[in-house]
Amino acid sequence: MKQPSLVIPSHIDMPMAHRHTLTNGTSLYVLPTPEFEVLRFTFVFHAGSSLQSVPFCASATANLLSEGTRNFTAEQIATELDFYGSHFEVNVDRDCVYVTFNCLSKFFEQTLAVAREILLYPTFPEEEVSVYREKRKASLAIERRKVETAARELFGRLLFGGTHPYGVTYPESAYDDLTRDDLSAFYRDFYSNALVICSGGIGDNELRSLQQLACELPATGMPVAAAPPPAKSTGYGFTERPDAVQSSIRVGRLLFTRTHPDFVPMQVLTTALGGYFGSRLMQNLREKRGYTYGVHASMINFQHAGYLGIATQVGTEVTDDALNQIYAEIERLRMERMPEEELSLVKNIMVGEVLRILDGPFGIADVTIENLLCGLDNSYVSRSVEMIRDTTPDDIQHLAQQYLRREDLVTAVAGAHI
Amino acid sequence: MISYKSHTLSNGLTVIANRDGVSKLAAVNLLYKVGARNENPHRTGFAHLFEHLMFRGTRGIPNFDTPVQMAAGENNAFTTNDYTDYYITLPVANIETALWLESDRMTGLYITPEKLEAEKRVVVEEFKQRYLNQPYGDLHMLLRELTYKVHPYRWSTIGRSPEHIMDATLDEVREFYGRFYQPSNAILSVSADLAEERIFDLAEQYFTASQPVQAQSPNEIPMEPAQTEPRRLEVERDVPSTSITLAWHIGNRTSPSFFVADLVSDLLAGGESARLYQHLVKDRQLFSSINAYVTCDVDPGLFIVTGQLLPGVKEESAERALWGEIALLAQGSIPARELEKVKNKFEANTLFGEINVMNKAMNLGFYAMLGDLALVNREVGIYLGLTEADVREFARNTLHPDTCSTLIYRAKQHKK
Repeated sequence: MKQPSLVIPSHIDMPMAHRHTLTNGTSLYVLPTPEFEVLRFTFVFHAGSSLQSVPFCASATANLLSEGTRNFTAEQIATELDFYGSHFEVNVDRDCVYVTFNCLSKFFEQTLAVAREILLYPTFPEEEVSVYREKRKASLAIERRKVETAARELFGRLLFGGTHPYGVTYPESAYDDLTRDDLSAFYRDFYSNALVICSGGIGDNELRSLQQLACELPATGMPVAAAPPPAKSTGYGFTERPDAVQSSIRVGRLLFTRTHPDFVPMQVLTTALGGYFGSRLMQNLREKRGYTYGVHASMINFQHAGYLGIATQVGTEVTDDALNQIYAEIERLRMERMPEEELSLVKNIMVGEVLRILDGPFGIADVTIENLLCGLDNSYVSRSVEMIRDTTPDDIQHLAQQYLRREDLVTAVAGAHI
Repeated sequence: MISYKSHTLSNGLTVIANRDGVSKLAAVNLLYKVGARNENPHRTGFAHLFEHLMFRGTRGIPNFDTPVQMAAGENNAFTTNDYTDYYITLPVANIETALWLESDRMTGLYITPEKLEAEKRVVVEEFKQRYLNQPYGDLHMLLRELTYKVHPYRWSTIGRSPEHIMDATLDEVREFYGRFYQPSNAILSVSADLAEERIFDLAEQYFTASQPVQAQSPNEIPMEPAQTEPRRLEVERDVPSTSITLAWHIGNRTSPSFFVADLVSDLLAGGESARLYQHLVKDRQLFSSINAYVTCDVDPGLFIVTGQLLPGVKEESAERALWGEIALLAQGSIPARELEKVKNKFEANTLFGEINVMNKAMNLGFYAMLGDLALVNREVGIYLGLTEADVREFARNTLHPDTCSTLIYRAKQHKK
């Protein structure tokens, strides 16, 4: 049968979020889609792990918000949320904490009542802190047995420096020194000036209630988190795991944040290199050599930094050759002009990815948050699609020549010595 | 509610269509009714290896992924013990590309010795990465061998050993393809902003070119005899903490006992307010994590309770505590509000699952595979109808010490 003809959307319009500025300075953004019977609301605080001075304090504070409040025990909160089938989740990254509630629209008020307790009146009870410490210590110990985790943590230290807020890692034993006073202090200092986003089946009544809660959140004027000290990268590191049958590899380098004009073109380059199933690295390491189950490259964005990262896990005995193949594929980007055909494939993949992320109200909300945190509005999406389409083979080669010299690359390996 | 229409093509392919009025994407799901349970015991892991080979190109289309990606689409696949599922999402305007590709590889797969060898190596690396190079990676393999003695559920989809994968031959690949990759053994389900009739027409246009080969009878799957004795396996591994797993046999995916079992697993471990977490993790601090769940197998599956001990906790007291919770289900009362809670959760999960086109297409394929497509919309009602008496009866009759399989996965003691 003949291959069907293709239609690639030439631009993607993302709905703009309605902004409501509240009396206390909190910003509330709403993306209503009345045809759904479910909704999601998220509170974002600049309270991520790079802001902590006590190890594990940021994630502990975020994860223990729901473990006891002025009026409810942890069990009551969990029971209340579970009862309405509401789903509550907390995510912590280097810069921010995201507190998200998913619920049936018909149980919105009940869910919001719990959100109010969690956000305004957490008490961090001593016994909950102690259960949490033990649990996390145990699970972190398990995590760190994996070469994957060892390589990821090592890579962070190599990229930024072992004491840099974006690179530092702590021993599990640091959990022993974490106290409830540390959490209360961190909550007091960083849980203000929230960004609030709501999407899905939200009506006027729900909006009013949400506004009311948002108005009660503490606001102290935009906190200007001091930029972290400059990072200092080290070229190579190895973490030994004598019993490992595979090595975990990270290769990359520090670059820039998402607002840099080269960020999107570098995303195109990264996608070609290792961002899709048929990428150059996948073809080389998986399809051609069978060294790995998968290899992935991406551009990572933090508030004050950004980097390129390549990650894979390969058989111990082929570690060195896998590394050489990765370097060779990067070198090829510098030496050879990328064929037009390959580049247009990569562009179509990226446009499809944008479409998929924006499919459904919750995906749109997630992208809205990402944009707002970079100081951008949702029109950025159509601009970035244009930037993707405008990237040429020459651009890719120039970027590779400019940014991806062998001596600029940072390599982390965790595994067994042969 | 997922609205749908169903239609069978002349070559035996089942087609199910859902019209989604919102999404700009189409989801195309093709399910083949073949999984690890159809494998030869000496060639386990084959269905999954075969799934990988389905991406290795046909005579007409040497590379499967590129046309999907050119169409701004994304595709993947997975293999379970019962079935193999291939799925694509792409802009609605490009839906024909998905149908063109799927219909092509239903008949035209072209595997060379080189492709087979390369793919075997990839799958062996997957074996290592996910099962050998992970703490607790072989726990489920051990549990399967303990609970199943006859039924092919006694091995997992990755297979029993990397050697089974390395020994696979090209003849076996051809035989497997001819036997199981037939239109009559497949279900095409589509969710997109297109009229159902239009979806049927397109399916007709692309798939009826693939005529059924003389269908061979699927292999007989031996049924597992009832377990009449307690079983126990204790192993020692280099892991940070000991885990205890209890397992019992339950009914198949459409039997009444499955739904009770699923509801009971939520009473025990569905969310932080659930009993096991509140009692054994938080109050008594015996476990660092704990879970209860049912396997969603087509043939009779398992009800599993599994937890990781906190350091310093004695195995016996942790095990006794698990049995205490089961006794509480069998004898104690279940507050109406607690029962209502787990029912609300099923309703919410169902509604959240109906938001995107891929979930819908995949669900439709799954229920059609079970042989009861209407169940996709009837299931919440079944859960809502369950009572305290159902729970108690299940705990008494099924969660019984005499038919329990216990797996102690013990952390090796390191000399300080």
